[in-house]
Amino acid sequence: MNRNVLTLIIGGVLVVIFALLLFVFQVRQSEVAVVTTFGRPVENLTAPGPYFKWPWPVQNVYKFDQRVQNFEDKFSQTFTADNNTLLVSVYVGWKINDASAFFRKIPGASVPAAQQLLEGILRNAKNQVIGKHPLAELVNANPADLKFEEIETNILTAVVGQLSTNNYGIEIEFLGIKKLGLPDSVVQTVFQRMTSERQVLISKLQYDGEAQATIIKSAADRQASETVNNAVADATRIRGQGEAEAALTLPTFERNPQLANFLLRVDALKESLNQRSTLIFDERTAPFDLFRSLPANPPSQ
Amino acid sequence: MERNVQKNGLVNLLAAAIVFIAVFFVAVYVNSLAGRVAAVFLGLTMLVALISWFQMRLGENERLEKLEVEELARAKGDSTLFEARDSEVFPARRSREQFERFLVPGFCVLLCLLEAGGAWLMWNVAGKTLNPILADRALPSLALLAVFALLLFILGRFSVTIARLENERLLRPSASFLLAGAYICFLAALAVAGFKAQFPLADFYVARVLCVLLGLIAAELLVTLLLEIYRPRLKGRISRPLYDSRLVGLLGQPEGLFTTAAQALDYQFGFKVSDTWLFKVLKEGLPALIVAQFAVLLLSTCVVFVDAGEQAILEFFGRPVAGGVLQPGAHLKLPWPFEKVYRFRTDQIQSFSIGFTPDSQSENEQVILWTVAHNKEENFLVANREIPTVKSEDTETNDLLKAPPVSLITVSIPVQYQITNVLDWAYRNSEPTNLLADLATREVVRYLASVDMNEIMSQTRLEAADILRERVQAAADQRSLGVKIIFVGLQDIHPPTKVAGDYEKVVAAEQTRQAAILNAQAQAIRTNSLAGAQAFATTNVAASTRQRLEVEAFARAALFTNQIPAFQAAPSVYRQRAYFHTFASATANARKYVLLVTNTQDVIIFNLEDKISEDMLNINVDNK
Repeated sequence: MNRNVLTLIIGGVLVVIFALLLFVFQVRQSEVAVVTTFGRPVENLTAPGPYFKWPWPVQNVYKFDQRVQNFEDKFSQTFTADNNTLLVSVYVGWKINDASAFFRKIPGASVPAAQQLLEGILRNAKNQVIGKHPLAELVNANPADLKFEEIETNILTAVVGQLSTNNYGIEIEFLGIKKLGLPDSVVQTVFQRMTSERQVLISKLQYDGEAQATIIKSAADRQASETVNNAVADATRIRGQGEAEAALTLPTFERNPQLANFLLRVDALKESLNQRSTLIFDERTAPFDLFRSLPANPPSQ
Repeated sequence: MERNVQKNGLVNLLAAAIVFIAVFFVAVYVNSLAGRVAAVFLGLTMLVALISWFQMRLGENERLEKLEVEELARAKGDSTLFEARDSEVFPARRSREQFERFLVPGFCVLLCLLEAGGAWLMWNVAGKTLNPILADRALPSLALLAVFALLLFILGRFSVTIARLENERLLRPSASFLLAGAYICFLAALAVAGFKAQFPLADFYVARVLCVLLGLIAAELLVTLLLEIYRPRLKGRISRPLYDSRLVGLLGQPEGLFTTAAQALDYQFGFKVSDTWLFKVLKEGLPALIVAQFAVLLLSTCVVFVDAGEQAILEFFGRPVAGGVLQPGAHLKLPWPFEKVYRFRTDQIQSFSIGFTPDSQSENEQVILWTVAHNKEENFLVANREIPTVKSEDTETNDLLKAPPVSLITVSIPVQYQITNVLDWAYRNSEPTNLLADLATREVVRYLASVDMNEIMSQTRLEAADILRERVQAAADQRSLGVKIIFVGLQDIHPPTKVAGDYEKVVAAEQTRQAAILNAQAQAIRTNSLAGAQAFATTNVAASTRQRLEVEAFARAALFTNQIPAFQAAPSVYRQRAYFHTFASATANARKYVLLVTNTQDVIIFNLEDKISEDMLNINVDNK
């Protein structure tokens, strides 16, 4: 008897669980659900909680995430108004605002399918808007000339307009430019230009150094020359002073000018023969005149 | 009534073979992974049915042989026949024994390998190919698989019943495999139905489950083979066929769990374990135990422990309970599935990177250079305040002119954050981590697009990190992400690797410039010092000259004063003496020619040129 009761209880519990699985479903805070009866959407549930339904195949429940979904489009190439090519990628935050429309219009009512549709719209709007702006409005060291936010807003407006026209059941919460880049071929030219910029700096530094060195050396030479010249001038002046002092002794020589002049000539002779000299004398020059007074050699036999 | 079970075995074999081929083609036709795994299982079923049928034939031959021998013995009334060797008298029995001793274990090893190999192969196939079921072929395939399942089920149930009633141990393995094959076909059909019911991954998961099942059957067979070595052999006891899987039997007949377990224990231990009181108590009380276990399991979901550093959101049927953020500690809640808890690590500092993908190999390097890529780095566009204008006719320069007025820069920015509002974090965005990374990347791109490259690399670098952190925080707040940005760091910011070398050359050029200036300064110092010394020497020489002039003048004056009396005393002698004295000393080193000839008509020519010494003539002079 007890065994039968236990079996009945277990059976009852299993039946209840099975019935709950068939007839009850729950919608989470983060979800929105569409209930279909024989394939036709009949109810749109946005509030969280438990709900009843008829079991499959009478009713089906399709749940969707109603939180903001994040989607980033491809890093794609586009033209700017000044004919520069640019790689741009944007991200959007989108959410399902009409689950019924989303269920009906998006193939398979799946998020990847919705994002595939969104990508087409997004890329179209992105290329249109960026094509109206020069590169300098996206990248500029002067913030006043930058129109980054304006470009984002324009893309957002274009996407929202397209979505609201056809009611895809989704809305865009926000949009931003995630990446900016350049195609590889352009990157190479930018690298070349950056290298040239550095080369300009290198040349500037190199020749600036040489110029400064020349200036320093020239100034030093000038200063040295001044120093030496001043010294030479001082030396001349000093020697003049010496001459002046020495001149004070000249009256002494005036006491016997004949002797003084003779001595001066003798000194001059001595001074002039101080270097290596060649002298040619004849027999009349003293003291070689002594040779004349010597007896001549006897004639040979 | 005696039944010929051989026919049942043959029917099982043929059914397994036909259904195996059919299921294989259906699985390929509809592109079902689960169907392919089911085909593998049915192929193994066919092999088991084949060996089982063959063994039954040997058993039947043995039985007929035994009857024949008994008949002969009765007819002759002579026992000499039985005195001969068994192998000569009972060749069929010997064949059967040899078959069971050698071929059956060998077959079981092969079967084990096939089961394990099939499980491994199908697991890998299921892991690599995620091609969906072909939608337009799903319905006919579903119907066919269901029909195969029904066919196998009917045949399997029939064979199982026959095997039990006739106590035919050799029919049981193929019957069990057929019955399990029926359920597996049914599961494959469910997988296809799951695809039709918008569960595209149902086929994948069913295939995975079936792979695991195949692996378990292989493992069971391996264990059985190992245990067979140590099993006690009792004389007269009929052994269970090695390929008769208990797991497959259990799958085909789940109600026979206890019977299977008891048989297994009895078989392994060699005595009736199933007659012991413990086994009986377990058998009687198991349903209650299972219910109690289920109740305990359900009750355990009424208590939740939130770990330190975590917060949890409590939901009642999907709706957050008012004030339902659970802090660390123990909490009571309604049992599953009424209330559920979702945990988040709110105290943990989480991080992501912008501009680079960390590379474990390069992270171990101790020196980080601009010219060597130390991570997988990205280039960002950055503004250029001054771009030199180059005008030239050559091609290279023309290319330069085409370059857009931007530069490229590599940045490595780690961002660290903490979850501060778990409800916002969980409910506002489906992928909050990715969104935060996108917002932060956008702010970095936006900031770099508005600053000069040289400035961001030098003087504004410090403030850039603060600005970026504030901007990322503002963007996260605007999107109600519920996070606090703790740190945004400009870990690395440098020119791209390809041009980094040119930036280093600028630094080298600056050093060269400094060196040239310093060299000039050194030379200036030398020049000025030497000039100062030369000036000093010149002045000193002048002073010396002055002193010499003075002293000499006074000395001469004094000398002259003393010479006057001598001159006055003998003017001519004094003069001659002074003359000759001076002449002798002055011309002592001079070359002197004295002409003593009297013939004044002779012309005497002196070559007074200085002769160059011979060694001077041998000097080599370069004509540079």
